[in-house]
Amino acid sequence: MASDLDADLQTLAAAAARADAHHEFIPRIAWPDGVHMAVNVTLDFDAMLLRRLMNEPPSQLGKGEFGGRVGIWRMIELFDSHGIKGTVFTPGRIVELYPDSLRHVHAQGHEIADHMWEHHVPKDAALERDHLRKAAGAIESVTGRKPVGTRSWHTQKLLQEEGFIYNSHGHAHHLPHYHRDPGTGQALLNLPFHYVIDDAMFYSSAWLGSGNAAQRISDPDRVCDMWWDAFWQQYQKGGYLNVVMHPFVSGRALRVAMMDRLFTRKKSLPGVWFPTSAELARHVLATHPPKEG
Amino acid sequence: MPWKQGYTVSDETGLRDDELSWPDGARCAVQVVVDLNVASGPEGITAKDLASDAAVFGATEGLALLRAVLDRHSIRATISVPAVLARLRADSVRALAADGHEIAAGGFKGEDVSILAREEEQARLVRTTDIVAEATGTRPLGWFGLPRQGDPFAGGTVSAHTIDLLVEAGYAYFGNGLADDIPHYWVSDFATRRALLTLPYYYHFDDQWFCMFPTKGTGLENSDFPARNWRAEFAAQYKRGRHFHMVVHPQHIGWANRMQALDDFLGHLRHHPGLWVATGRQIAAHWAARHPPATHLRLAPSIWKDHPGSLS
Repeated sequence: MASDLDADLQTLAAAAARADAHHEFIPRIAWPDGVHMAVNVTLDFDAMLLRRLMNEPPSQLGKGEFGGRVGIWRMIELFDSHGIKGTVFTPGRIVELYPDSLRHVHAQGHEIADHMWEHHVPKDAALERDHLRKAAGAIESVTGRKPVGTRSWHTQKLLQEEGFIYNSHGHAHHLPHYHRDPGTGQALLNLPFHYVIDDAMFYSSAWLGSGNAAQRISDPDRVCDMWWDAFWQQYQKGGYLNVVMHPFVSGRALRVAMMDRLFTRKKSLPGVWFPTSAELARHVLATHPPKEG
Repeated sequence: MPWKQGYTVSDETGLRDDELSWPDGARCAVQVVVDLNVASGPEGITAKDLASDAAVFGATEGLALLRAVLDRHSIRATISVPAVLARLRADSVRALAADGHEIAAGGFKGEDVSILAREEEQARLVRTTDIVAEATGTRPLGWFGLPRQGDPFAGGTVSAHTIDLLVEAGYAYFGNGLADDIPHYWVSDFATRRALLTLPYYYHFDDQWFCMFPTKGTGLENSDFPARNWRAEFAAQYKRGRHFHMVVHPQHIGWANRMQALDDFLGHLRHHPGLWVATGRQIAAHWAARHPPATHLRLAPSIWKDHPGSLS
């Protein structure tokens, strides 16, 4: 019936309006003097936690364990060799598994940010707050300060109550932008990334329960070409790129070697800034604050 | 390390590049593994598997070509053979041993042991050791739990008991662990430090994932990828002075373009001075002497705290 079609149109219009209201974009970001483009190089230091959460067998846990034993050290060494300040999104439990590596991450001047307690967000509100506080406390025990950033699907209201100044997920725009909470009306800065620039998509077989046959067995040169194109597209616009790597994936020797070449290539262009996510967030908050109300 | 039951198998931090040393001043170790398993799925080798053209090719011309190319490039390999094939193809196994390759055990019929009860797994382990010893004249010292194309995951399979059973049965090493890219200790009991040396495995260096994979339909042919991955990984490992490993199956690598790629890659490898091309047994012996558990397995008690509402 025609009236059903009208109801359909209304429902969909309301959904689109909600989506539009949620996102507040910044058309062009004014970077600091001398900077043409910003790149946040980030790690999701999951090790085997997500494998454990998904009840995967020992071979998968071992794959994750590589990230803590070997991968994280190689990634920090790589960043240091290029003068890159990285952001390590770390589930709180990693502090109880790989404390030496996290002390090293902090000592070398990289940011340790939240990535949940055990790599999931509980549905129960009280338990969610418990997990977030445990995770923040764990990171504080390493760095001496509570984390100011997260990469998670934690409730925005809770994050803002707990003092977080940015989240880093989703890809509704290339540039950092604000998410407006419909309930509180408050805006939280988001540093976006796309799965195209996430190493697990290319190399982690059976990623996220996808089954062995969902092949993720790219060779690094192919990824290098795509990731260079992404960087170059944003460089021409003076934009932003967020690179997401997992120590258990990109910490493999052949991929560290490829990222070494890619970083060298990026740095060959003038004005490329590689700050921590917190440093970049503070710049954007200061120069492009969210609209009032 | 704060070792954690159900999460970790080894110590907190692996050995750095500068902590390693190889025999006779060699700068990089190389291990070539040949997997003779023809099982398509976790249940192990079936009659259907044995009748496939791939299996027949892999047992005959494919194996002959592989033996010739390994010989041409002076590669001593580690051969993982299921007991069933050690019995059915005893002549081939003896020929491989006579070539100088190490014969290691690859399960009773190349099955996923994690689906077995402990008693059954132990019975098969004992029988496998006997059958492989019968074929070669000496008992195997290495045990592999390599994956099959039909597995849900690509890293290979162990049960909660495998490492413990292998230590009890006197094995010197387990052939495929993912927690490091060098040999490392897999701890089966933290309190007693009971552990077995484990050799590294990573599926990006295993030809089966690139040759007509997945198996549904006819799969995809990405058989130019292994050589690209081997070259990239070998370059990186050689620069670090560390360890390079690769796994090939005669039924896959033996055919035409794949064999040519292997031949080219081994030639490329051999242009590099200072390689220690070793079998699993040789690597295990070196590691026990140079990096023994007493000094190189740095376990520390767990600092994990359980909480309500959190996974233990």
